[in-house]
Amino acid sequence: MNIEEVKEQAEPRAFSPRDDLPREYREAATRMLEFHANSEIMGAYLERPFIRKAPSLERKMAFSAKTQDEIGHGQMLYRAAESLGIKTRDEMLEDLANGDGKFLNCFHYPMERYVETPMIAFFVDGAAMRRQATLKSSSWEPYAHAMDKICFEEGMHVKHGESILRELMSGSKKEQEMTQEAFEEWWPRILQFFGPTDDQSTHHDFAEQVGLKTKSNDELRNAFLNTYMPKAEKYGLEIPEEPRIRDNGDGTYEVVEDDLDWEEFFTVSKNEYAGSKQQIDSRARAQEAVQWVRDMLDGQATTGDGPTPQAAD
Amino acid sequence: MATSRSDLGAPDELSERERDAVEAQLFRLADDEYIQAERYTFWQVRAPTLESDLAVANNAQDELGHARLWYDAIQQFGYSEESLLWESEPDDFQHSTLVELPFSEGDWGDAILRGYLYDVAEEIRLAALEESTYREIRERTSRIQGEEDYHVEHAENWLRRMADDEEARQRVQAALDRLYPYALTLFEPVGDIEEDIVDLGIRDATLEEMRDEWQERTTAFLTDLGFEVPTDAEPATPTGRDNEHTQHWHDLHEEMVSSYRNLGRHEATTLMDDE
Repeated sequence: MNIEEVKEQAEPRAFSPRDDLPREYREAATRMLEFHANSEIMGAYLERPFIRKAPSLERKMAFSAKTQDEIGHGQMLYRAAESLGIKTRDEMLEDLANGDGKFLNCFHYPMERYVETPMIAFFVDGAAMRRQATLKSSSWEPYAHAMDKICFEEGMHVKHGESILRELMSGSKKEQEMTQEAFEEWWPRILQFFGPTDDQSTHHDFAEQVGLKTKSNDELRNAFLNTYMPKAEKYGLEIPEEPRIRDNGDGTYEVVEDDLDWEEFFTVSKNEYAGSKQQIDSRARAQEAVQWVRDMLDGQATTGDGPTPQAAD
Repeated sequence: MATSRSDLGAPDELSERERDAVEAQLFRLADDEYIQAERYTFWQVRAPTLESDLAVANNAQDELGHARLWYDAIQQFGYSEESLLWESEPDDFQHSTLVELPFSEGDWGDAILRGYLYDVAEEIRLAALEESTYREIRERTSRIQGEEDYHVEHAENWLRRMADDEEARQRVQAALDRLYPYALTLFEPVGDIEEDIVDLGIRDATLEEMRDEWQERTTAFLTDLGFEVPTDAEPATPTGRDNEHTQHWHDLHEEMVSSYRNLGRHEATTLMDDE
């Protein structure tokens, strides 16, 4: 198939590993999937301290389960990425550790306080849900298929985040103030989750033409704001005056781009922000420390002695 | 052996002696599982592979679920989750010091071996509780047993692989030498109450009997893989069972209660009702 044929035939779940697809398509799909898979891992890494710090036994269990789900999503998405034949999972994980792998902007900001957790678990996950629901119609069938299961579990995560937010905002005055403060800190990052407006976006045109992506940044941002601004207000959060958000009155919004720090955004997206380095490097050190285990598994897989690889998993 | 096998009855029907003995058994069950789980979660998003990450998270959540079952049984005596976990002091806990030790970065051998030593002991303890005269223990035991079998199998598979690899073998042996005295504290007594636990039929094996069975099983398996088991070691002190703990537990406890304290909470959330 050439690119023109791909564009003509692009529709939901149109292409699978059985198709002979041009390299340009496979590279674009790999880039999206790898970014998505990396984001699952780095999102889990960001939240993991709160397994320990959760303030109730059942919250602890929920954080542990959520973190586990995200590792499972990463596993599924890397598999869907590998099936494009461009990069192996090991290569992608290696790139993530050495700072070459890219991931969502919000996961570059280390979380210190419990009141920050719903900013990720409710707003960022809610935003991710918007995007992911549309990816069920991606033209790369393994991607769309992975989204069926992932979207179901993400729905549970957003409920978990919403429950934490509701609890904090119906708690003591101190809790409410701390949560509002965290919201003000995170809100601009959350708005930037969807990236720059469509006229500034680089990869978008091709990904949409070949059906990898079915909605634009602006459409997704509007859908998110329509649902989540009222929810934030319902729980008693005040939307900060800046960045300015103009309500067009027809279900669409305009975020004033100049009110957002795009220099920081692009520093983040190059993995060069201070938080990026902290998150990437500390995870890389933890991974490096168990390299000996992976070497052992690799050696045993090659020589065939010892129990089957699955046995230890 | 127990002098009476009749059912002790509901929580509010116990004599003071019976209640003290039941509580003594429940606290160590709950605290051991809770802290073992907590240390397991150290490996979440840090395990060697995505697959082992998922497996370690499963184990942690199983143990947390068991801890919740045991704490729930304790709460029938009028305690609350807040008083047990969030507003208590480190010295209120009675878990064995084995489960409170931190992991060194990358020491997967420690994680697996510790899981093995702990889970075999847990299997033996649960077997001795199967026919407990206290119904709340008996019923929970049967719910938990299936999962513990899987944990032992998982650890044994890893140990077989690590025994076959020079570097891994050395790491596991080092962990064995270090952890063994702490593992022995699993069988240390809380105090005079131990005799009552067995006399009342709450558990049908003594600590010595359980330790002997544990030593026999672990020694046979590990020796067969070529490890040297330091069977003449003495239990480490403090034992944890006597409410005395290492500094590691004090540090861990502080981190665990930090959000609850910083938020100025007075209640721990339970999710069953609203979700």
